Amino acid sequence: MVEASSVEIRKVNKYYGDFHALKDIDLSIPPGKVTCLIGPSGSGKSSLLRCINFLEEYDSGEVLIDGKLIGYETPGGRRMSRRKLRQMRSTIGMVFQQFNLWPHMTAQENVAEGLRRVRGLRKAEAMERAAQALDRVGLSDRMANHPARLSGGQQQRVAIARAVAMDPRLMLFDEPTSALDPELVGEVLNVMKALAAGGMTMVVVTHEMGFAAHVADQVAFLDAGELVGVDAPARILREPEDPRIQSFLRTYHERNVI
Amino acid sequence: MFSLSTFLDAFWPLTLAARYTLLVSGLGIALGLVIGAFVCVLALSKSRAARTVAALWVSYLRGVPMLVQLLVVFFLLPVIGINVPAIVAAVVTTAIVASAYISEIWRGAILALPRGQTEAAIAIGMRPRDTWTRIILPQAVALSIPQLINELILLVKASSLVSVVGVMEITRASQAQAGVTFRPLEAYLAAACLYLVINLCLAALGRWLEHRMAV
Repeated sequence: MVEASSVEIRKVNKYYGDFHALKDIDLSIPPGKVTCLIGPSGSGKSSLLRCINFLEEYDSGEVLIDGKLIGYETPGGRRMSRRKLRQMRSTIGMVFQQFNLWPHMTAQENVAEGLRRVRGLRKAEAMERAAQALDRVGLSDRMANHPARLSGGQQQRVAIARAVAMDPRLMLFDEPTSALDPELVGEVLNVMKALAAGGMTMVVVTHEMGFAAHVADQVAFLDAGELVGVDAPARILREPEDPRIQSFLRTYHERNVI
Repeated sequence: MFSLSTFLDAFWPLTLAARYTLLVSGLGIALGLVIGAFVCVLALSKSRAARTVAALWVSYLRGVPMLVQLLVVFFLLPVIGINVPAIVAAVVTTAIVASAYISEIWRGAILALPRGQTEAAIAIGMRPRDTWTRIILPQAVALSIPQLINELILLVKASSLVSVVGVMEITRASQAQAGVTFRPLEAYLAAACLYLVINLCLAALGRWLEHRMAV
């Protein structure tokens, strides 16, 4: 396992036109730990996650990966060169809500693509490494399938293998189970738990409070672009002090009562 | 009375003429694909000037009847000192008209791809060049096959227009045949059959390609 990254988010602001999507966000993400971002939809948690690999540009503040600013040469300064940005991104894995697998490639080719084009491995070696990565997510018998022939849970596991095969030091998950049928959520969460147990730094935007409660080391709650609270899951999920967190959790529990 | 033998006799001269139909539409679409790709790049460019050029190109070529454009090209080239056979004017016109439609077909196919396809490539650290050649274009080309075949079939039929500048393709040959035999119905019916056969073959080719490139 390569070394795990830390992330420092300092006074980050993000606007969409007039809409203030992220307001002065400060958040420390320690290496080798799992941080869950929770909150109502539209609260900015996905935007914040996407600022970490600069898929979303933040307008002010700093996002530091292992102390190195991403996206800009200096805080508030010139944009960083595309080459440097690509280099930083190649050590940050990302998993999307809609999987975003490439439909014209098999599962194995999906995983091998980044190894070939970004890491410059030869085809045979990339395919071999892809096979190992798929084996780790329990899909060694599905390597030759195209995404359309896989279930949602299998597709998301391929997407995780695609990110993990690059040996990232940090993994970002953007609602990885939200597009899945309920019975397929477990297999994806299990893969994520195994990854967490291996000491990967993970930032997970999720509505799975069970995952947040049992796997996260810290949980950050966002509402209307503000970071309302960050704490250990036991504290923030069981005895929240802020009324906004209380109300969010109440809605969540009511919805999940059978 | 319909004369079966006159009808059947018409096929040989028309089949010879079909070479020009295929030449004009085949070369037209081939050049149209190349020019269309270039226009599509301009249309998707970040530069406003490039997008304007593409928009003008597409709206002129789509907005003016092909017959009129053919006559413009045919009579314009000698004026600017380019003396070329009618067949060249025919191919040039077909190619630039096709390029306008093809650039729009490709632009549509590229924009139809979900944003997440590119994001996944960017997030992994892929170069723009690899993102285009490995992720975007293979999918866009596969998506555009049915429309490209459609365009090719339209071009084969539109190539009948080049008969007016004297290219001896199927339509022109059938007119000549009708004049010689005084049997227009047989001649034109034979032409109709030939066009139909060509286009049924193209449709079959399209289905085969679609099946092969299915993702």
